[in-house]
Amino acid sequence: MSQGRVDRQPAYVLHAQPYRETSLLLDVLTREHGRIALVARGARRPRSDLRGVLLPFQPLLLAWFGKSEVRTLHTADWQGGVPQLSGLPLVCGFYLNELLIKLTARDDPHPETFGVYAEAVRGLASGGLLSSVLRRFELGLVRTLGYAPAFDVDSNGREVEPDVPYLCGPEQALQRWQGGPVPAQQQVIEGRILLAMAGGDFSELATRREARRLMRLFLGQLLGAQSLATRELLQSISALGD
Amino acid sequence: MKNPPSLDQLISALKVLPGVGPKSAQRMAFHLLQRDQAGADRLARALDRALANLTHCERCNTFSETPLCNLCAEPARNQHQLCIVEMPADLLMLEQARCYDGLYFVLMGRLSPIDGIGPKDVNLDKLMVRALDGVVEEVIIATNFTAEGEVTAHMIAELLKDRGLAVSRIARGMPVGGELEYVDSGTLAQALYERRQLG
Ligand SMILES: [Zn+2]
Repeated sequence: MSQGRVDRQPAYVLHAQPYRETSLLLDVLTREHGRIALVARGARRPRSDLRGVLLPFQPLLLAWFGKSEVRTLHTADWQGGVPQLSGLPLVCGFYLNELLIKLTARDDPHPETFGVYAEAVRGLASGGLLSSVLRRFELGLVRTLGYAPAFDVDSNGREVEPDVPYLCGPEQALQRWQGGPVPAQQQVIEGRILLAMAGGDFSELATRREARRLMRLFLGQLLGAQSLATRELLQSISALGD
Repeated sequence: MKNPPSLDQLISALKVLPGVGPKSAQRMAFHLLQRDQAGADRLARALDRALANLTHCERCNTFSETPLCNLCAEPARNQHQLCIVEMPADLLMLEQARCYDGLYFVLMGRLSPIDGIGPKDVNLDKLMVRALDGVVEEVIIATNFTAEGEVTAHMIAELLKDRGLAVSRIARGMPVGGELEYVDSGTLAQALYERRQLG
């Protein structure tokens, strides 16, 4: 550890940009070390083997060294099992990456976030329903960032009842809704939908719709003034899913 | 000790080049001024001339000194095929491969949402006008097989679908003459996922 050396760490490349003449500057999500910056030396040389390995949305094992803000990639091993994303699933993949880059801090380990991301990438690659993959990811991310309340108990510690509507918003426990106007930045959701969301079950259209509205609210608060380029891209081909 | 202002200006001007940081910019500036003044003069004139004379071809969007570039002006090219590439260098490579006699459209970039490069930055509006001119029958998308090139291809395919055009994507797989033993894992894996039926 004295040279800050890390071996064979599960990771995904979130973004790569050219660096110097022949290198790449990578933004990677790792399981144990969070999101870090790595330089892949020589990765842009025409015959570099890294070209076909350092791909986004591919499970990799990375080794690196260095203690500064930007480490140096040592090796990258292909884990395989996930076909390259293309078409709409690829656009959705960029959306996941943009959320991670904008909402997670560098060098802040979040093993659960890594798990949530890995599951979403596999979901996109396996032809699952895109909107349900996206909602599950958004909810998982908001939850691991400590921003989502429990969806199965209310503010009094009582279990959520399927037929009762609840008032739901960022950073606050669920409250039984008594009727009347809905406060800004909050949303009224039926108990049974909250229970489905708590269980990660997005098979019903109604759950996906309510979850989409709610996640917009949560992500909107987390993102503040930042806009999402991938959301705009998705909207420009009008396919964000239901 | 400070540099004279004109030297500092040259160094900071050289830093606009991709991959050139302060140290390389300083090295380049010293080289141009000390070792190769004639070269420096040629560079300055060539830059001036390029900026004054080059525009984008009104049909294919590549660099051209005339409203229509040489290639677009050639009547012998197949007018019904349009091949879309990211950069002029890609067009030149395709020409070198002597596999295609249709026309081109050069995007001058690729979509990269995370870098903030959107549809307007890669001339998709101009591409639409060109592809829907009534003469083009087939559009071949030859953007790179990077995640960004693939997103660009997807967007173009979405924009052009249901317009009565045949839209295709160049194939990816094993390099010609390539041996499995020497190919990288990503290429090999994708070649297997995208295998084609024989017979
Ligand atoms: Zn032209």
